[in-house]
Amino acid sequence: MRTLVWVLAAAFLALITIALSQKGALDPLRNLALTVVSPLERGVRNAAEPVADVLDRVAERRNLENETQQLRQQIEELRAEIAGLHEQQAQAQGLEDLLKVQEGRPEDRFLVARVIAQDPSNLKERIAIDRGRDDGMAEGMVVLSAGNSLVGVVSSVLADFSWVTLITDPNSSVNAMVMESRTQGVVSGTLHDGLRMELLPQETQVQVGSTVATSGLGGNYPDALLIGEVVSVQGSPQDIFQKAEVKPAANLPRLENVLVLTSFQPARLDNAP
Amino acid sequence: MKYLFLAPLAMTVVLLQVAAAPYFPLMDVTANPLLVLLTCWAMVRGPRETMVLIPLTAVFKDLITNDPVGVSVLALLPIVPLAGIRERHLTQSEFVPTVVVVMVASLCYHLAYMVVLTTLGEDVPWLESPLRVLLPAALLDAVLTPLFYIPLRWATTLTESQARLRVVG
Repeated sequence: MRTLVWVLAAAFLALITIALSQKGALDPLRNLALTVVSPLERGVRNAAEPVADVLDRVAERRNLENETQQLRQQIEELRAEIAGLHEQQAQAQGLEDLLKVQEGRPEDRFLVARVIAQDPSNLKERIAIDRGRDDGMAEGMVVLSAGNSLVGVVSSVLADFSWVTLITDPNSSVNAMVMESRTQGVVSGTLHDGLRMELLPQETQVQVGSTVATSGLGGNYPDALLIGEVVSVQGSPQDIFQKAEVKPAANLPRLENVLVLTSFQPARLDNAP
Repeated sequence: MKYLFLAPLAMTVVLLQVAAAPYFPLMDVTANPLLVLLTCWAMVRGPRETMVLIPLTAVFKDLITNDPVGVSVLALLPIVPLAGIRERHLTQSEFVPTVVVVMVASLCYHLAYMVVLTTLGEDVPWLESPLRVLLPAALLDAVLTPLFYIPLRWATTLTESQARLRVVG
């Protein structure tokens, strides 16, 4: 009986704190907890990362030989491509100079942030970064990896920290485009399977290995931000749309530093009251 | 007094869960050492101490993650009634029931968590979750059980025999 009373009381209090938490009333407490814990958390992460790397390497050793072979072939192909691109770049540069496109284009501004935590839940894909409202962060801001590919979007902001919803989170969807065929679709996060690009018209040809980037539609993301690479295409001729599995370009499970794009105002922010 | 020792231990496990566990996924899921510790605790030492540790550690975990504060308390609560199986002495060993309770508690944890997330408007993949999250997580947590059960059983036996000696003395 006593246990039952305790369980009911604890459940009732938990529901109250969930409600308070949703209203943001506990944000100062969260900020304080993260301030105290983040150095410890960073220490644990720094200790865990090399161990995890070693385990990963052991597990991946079998694949390495095949991968090396493939990579050598790719290097050769890329060298040939680079030679061609140099020529194209020279031509493009000439055209750009003529049109003076760059004069009217403001440079992007970034805020560098360190990843301090990952959400341990098996149902969400989120990271915490050490920049918050006091640094000018706002919900909806776009986050990129150090290699300039799309990581996700800022989903909640505390005074000194922010949580970023990764593009692989089941709640994430990004208007995207297959660069080679200019086919537009929507890239969504899936449960542990990386990314899925949906709503690809059946009549368009999407090749494995194609590059996927943001399309800029909807105004929530700038265009031409690298998302990843198509690894498989699914869909029978009867389907209206095709689907494609996309491998994220950024190494999302091992992010250390990220860039927050502060110069781009997402449509969400513009519409905010 | 004993909570001065228990609470930091449990907090350390929370920290390990939040900072280190995501680096070691197995079957695409991350283990829940806090749940395993609290379940082993309830099964070995009885649910009374766990009733204090659950709110303390769960709130701490929610404060340093992105979860709404309180969701882990709700998700971990089933441990207390589940630990009631201890009193029935179904098997000679406590270990097998502990593994079973860890698995059931893990399933309850994720179900409660998913219900709360759905209520709060988050997109939860209910159809995929049983095979992709619930079962693998329950198995992974069961595999972790000896890591917590054995030291706890040993420490409890040691303290109980010391207490008995003091009484005899």
